[in-house]
Amino acid sequence: MSDAIVLRQVRKTFGEKVAVEGLDLRIPTGSLTGFIGPNGAGKTTTIRMIMAILFPDSGDLEVLGKRSAVQSKDRIGYLPEERGVYKKMKVGAFLEHMARLKGCHGPDVRRRVQRWLAKVELEGVEKKKCEELSKGMQQKVQFISSVIHEPDLVILDEPFSGLDPVNMRLLRDLILEQHTSGRTVIFSTHVMHTAEALCDQIVMISRGKKVLDAPLAEIQRRHEARTIEFEPVQAGGDLGPIERVAGVGAVRRTERGGVAEVREGASVPEVLGRVASAMPMWRVAIQRPSLEDLFIDIVKRQGEEDVEGLRAAMQDAGQLVGAGAQGGES
Amino acid sequence: MNRIFQIARREFVTTAMTKAFIIGALVFPAVIALAIPLIIMLSKQAEAPKVVGTVAIIDPSGLGLERIRASLTPEAISARRPQAASQMQEQAIQQAQSGAQMTPEQATEMMDQARTMSAKIPEFTVEGVADGADLEEQKRAVWDEGPQGQPDSQRRLALIVLDPDAIRRGEGADRFGTFEIFHRPKMDDRIVDEIRDGVREAIQTARYAAYGQDAAWLDALTTVDRPRVIEVTAEGERDSTSAFGMLLPFAFMVLLMMSVMIGSQYLLTTTIEEKSSRVVEVLLSAVSPMQLMTGKVLGQMMVGLVMLAVYGGLGVAALVAFALTNLIEPMSLVYLLAFFILEYVMLASLTAAVGAAVNELREAQSLQGPIIMLVMIPYILWLPLSMGPNALWAQILSFIPPISPFVMMIRVTSTDPPPLWQPLLAIGVNAVGCYVCLWLAAKVFRVGLLMYGKPPNLATLVKWVKMA
Repeated sequence: MSDAIVLRQVRKTFGEKVAVEGLDLRIPTGSLTGFIGPNGAGKTTTIRMIMAILFPDSGDLEVLGKRSAVQSKDRIGYLPEERGVYKKMKVGAFLEHMARLKGCHGPDVRRRVQRWLAKVELEGVEKKKCEELSKGMQQKVQFISSVIHEPDLVILDEPFSGLDPVNMRLLRDLILEQHTSGRTVIFSTHVMHTAEALCDQIVMISRGKKVLDAPLAEIQRRHEARTIEFEPVQAGGDLGPIERVAGVGAVRRTERGGVAEVREGASVPEVLGRVASAMPMWRVAIQRPSLEDLFIDIVKRQGEEDVEGLRAAMQDAGQLVGAGAQGGES
Repeated sequence: MNRIFQIARREFVTTAMTKAFIIGALVFPAVIALAIPLIIMLSKQAEAPKVVGTVAIIDPSGLGLERIRASLTPEAISARRPQAASQMQEQAIQQAQSGAQMTPEQATEMMDQARTMSAKIPEFTVEGVADGADLEEQKRAVWDEGPQGQPDSQRRLALIVLDPDAIRRGEGADRFGTFEIFHRPKMDDRIVDEIRDGVREAIQTARYAAYGQDAAWLDALTTVDRPRVIEVTAEGERDSTSAFGMLLPFAFMVLLMMSVMIGSQYLLTTTIEEKSSRVVEVLLSAVSPMQLMTGKVLGQMMVGLVMLAVYGGLGVAALVAFALTNLIEPMSLVYLLAFFILEYVMLASLTAAVGAAVNELREAQSLQGPIIMLVMIPYILWLPLSMGPNALWAQILSFIPPISPFVMMIRVTSTDPPPLWQPLLAIGVNAVGCYVCLWLAAKVFRVGLLMYGKPPNLATLVKWVKMA
């Protein structure tokens, strides 16, 4: 599989501050990649370098097979984090302007604008000024402006920020639609569960360095769930029978029941079966570690300034990165 | 290239196709252009009220009364008027030639004369008052309204008191006497002027008669008709209009300055707007910063050209109206266009850089200050420049961008234009200036567009240029 984006040892500094350091990255063509990390991690700087809005101090990059995004701008759709609209311009005129800037020509442009406005449930706003729209509506208009020219690569920087749940779902569907029609989609977010629900590839970045890069399935496999959630029929009862199940380690009581750790070496499905039959249950399930847990875990470990702690974090990250590289090539 | 045009088109449309622009930049001058002839027309119609009344004369010598009576008849007054008009015209031309500004007094006087011309002819009844009458009593008749129901024609408007030696000089005296006018309160000063001129004329002719001189002969002796001044050129002879020789370079410079400043000011505003509304990064996803800047500069250049065409067109129309088109060499218009483009590109690219560097208009002022000061130099120097367009310092200044286009514009439209190689060289020098400004501006523009927060100072801008 060819790569839509390749970064090799990319470094970018702003004065004293190192924004991105030794970043290697491959985004496979057709993938839906979540670019996650805390605020100030270097996500936007990396995306701006990919878009050739900023240039790296060292290292090189390839976008859609070209040395710079400048040469393939018509094939890229970009929704920046710092996004705005011409406030005094009419929505239709603004979208037409953007489409023309991205290489669309002819009378088709207007129809295309109308089609997209209908698609995001914004019929009839064409003649309104951009400043008359709500923030959520403006965001939809901005999204349209980034994909109206049907690009091969879509880069969305924090596309979900400031959206209500209804619009968030709408945008998620639109992103998935871009993905299923074969486009490469990258979006950055700090809302982990969105990434988890949407992506097939995760790149995690913290303090300008990549700490995780793997397909979501791979991450989930590596961080195999070893926690069992259960809700006994008789809530608040004695949890002794569970503690005594073979293969169960620590047991913790929760509001509705409890969670049990599966001991190293024991088979999770077998233990699950035994827990289910230890007492009458409403529900027994395997609890997956969320991306958020993983993220907070890694960031926390990175935050430790002592050398030992940092090394441990880096080793762990290193393993994960290694796994990611394999995943990327497979 | 398409993208640059698309940006330029949007820039032009959003600036020039707005009501504010059309009203401010186009309708306003058009209204003024229409209003001027209208005002002239109206003021011609605005006649002063017709004045009827008596003028009393105390003439101790008895030599002037009849002549005064003759010179204050409506026929004599209307005969004097065209004379006053031509005098006024001559005065105006002299003033324009001297290049001096009119003093307020002079201006008022000219306006008064213009008004007199449009006033209705007064009807004076001249009555002689015997010498030796009580002067105070006679004066009283001037301000005293008199009995109710007295007809206007019997109202005393003024009392003229001639000196005894107003017409015949006293023995051994060098000079003649004169006269005094006592007029009623709140009388229109145009009427006073009519009376004064009439009495003056009467005294003059009375003196000629008293000394046995032929009035017509003396008048012929002392009058030299205004000469016709003719400019001889290769294309033939034409009326000289040197009065405008100094004003023309100034007009050209102001036109150039105005259109350049308006274009770059709009550019500054739209750049800051794009940055503060955060639309700029959306744009940068489609075009490079250089394309964005070029498109914007081009778009606003069109706006500047519209202004140039409107105001320049008005100027040319005015010259056509007054049949003065011979003043402008067609080459001057070519230079105007060339220097507009060069000056505009330099100024606009620097302004775009300033716009990209700051977050709001207020912050732009401190960075824009030096640029505006540069532009103001030729404005301050235009008078010495147009008086000595080929002085060494003028020659030097006309090759230093970004002042050069203004100075060269003054020089090429002056009465003593420089040799052809000089404007051509200046165009070349300014083209290099354009390149340098664009290069510098592009760097600042690229870095500045995505920088928010504290507005940069000059040192930061230099750092950005090095960084980009």
